[in-house]
Amino acid sequence: MKTRIAAIDGGTYYHQATLHDPLLREYFQQIIYAPELPGSSLEEVDVLFVASRQDPQLMIEAAPTIRAFLDAGKTVVALGESESERWLPGIEWHPREVNFWWWLTPGADSRLRIGDKTHPLWNHLSLADATWHQHGYFNPPPGARRLIDHADGGCILYEDTHSTAGRMILTTLDPCYHHGSYFMPSASRFLYGFLPWLAQQETPAENPRRPDTART
Amino acid sequence: MNPPLLFIQGVAPANGPFAQLPRLKDNARFVRVYDLDAPLLQDVRAVLIPAHTDQRALRAKRELLQAHLDQGGTLLLNGHIAYPFLNELTHFVPLIERRMDDLRIRRLAPHPIFDGVDEADLSFRRGVAGFYGRGHNPPPPGARPLNGIGTQAAPIDWLYENAQGGRLLMHSGNDLWMHAADPTSARRIAPQLLEWLLAGEPA
Repeated sequence: MKTRIAAIDGGTYYHQATLHDPLLREYFQQIIYAPELPGSSLEEVDVLFVASRQDPQLMIEAAPTIRAFLDAGKTVVALGESESERWLPGIEWHPREVNFWWWLTPGADSRLRIGDKTHPLWNHLSLADATWHQHGYFNPPPGARRLIDHADGGCILYEDTHSTAGRMILTTLDPCYHHGSYFMPSASRFLYGFLPWLAQQETPAENPRRPDTART
Repeated sequence: MNPPLLFIQGVAPANGPFAQLPRLKDNARFVRVYDLDAPLLQDVRAVLIPAHTDQRALRAKRELLQAHLDQGGTLLLNGHIAYPFLNELTHFVPLIERRMDDLRIRRLAPHPIFDGVDEADLSFRRGVAGFYGRGHNPPPPGARPLNGIGTQAAPIDWLYENAQGGRLLMHSGNDLWMHAADPTSARRIAPQLLEWLLAGEPA
């Protein structure tokens, strides 16, 4: 069965431009306006794709809905700059000066390193597609799969299937803002690789380990 | 009585060098877009709307914003229009090509907000073009283009004044005050903008 992805729309111009991009729109079975997320029925949804730069206050109001979704064994993708540590469990995020201009230095090192090279996401993305400036870093919990580490410490993209019954994919990267502002080619490549991978995920009905299948 | 400026918060509370300017802090109230109501707009001279604002919420509040403009108030809009929430607005038109000359900013008419601001300091930051904008929100008939982008000088900044004295200032890019701490002439925009907004009449 096709993975059913619901995108969270914060109503900004860049959310509109990203979620309605003709190359991306097909991946979203639903688009849920962020203020309407609390209490939304998510029974027909496998993945919540929280576009970058949401109003954190709205997401905090939706936290019980999101937690119940995770407890049902489902997947939440939280992109950067929405203060996900305030509305998802087990997240430790730290600020770090944003390196907006690192790439102006010839031969500069982005400081980003691939973590778990065996992760299937790397069949769809290269590190270059995830390389622009960074907004802080995470210290992922034990057991998380670290996908992109920072040479100065911390992680900017990881997958956590331990903290809840579901799966959380967290990143500090904010591709929707840059893609929807026509600003950062790598941010566009990130989304054009990430979403096809996300859409290939097995749904809970196909995964016997997931708790909501155990009931059937 | 309300302060003369109403600053609508975007997806995050205002911070950065502009939000720290005493002239702003002394004259503005900061509110979330979801809380906007008629009493908050009473006697307000200018409403500042950042690029990072929920435009679906602005559309839901369109009658309040249109009334503010139609009653002689000032509105400053930043960003790309995705949900036209005033009669004067239409959808953003992105640039097709984004080479250096396509991103270059050109002054089309003098205006006190841009006094002493070099076009090159709008076109480039640290030698990089494209921060100022990536297209334009088409102006309504009768608007005055202030700055143009690209070889066709598409109106990226414009000012529309209605018969009631209402003023709609459009910047079709990242927030007009983003240069407040730039080490260039572009840092003049933020304080000059504030004086221009404060000189407006209350709605």
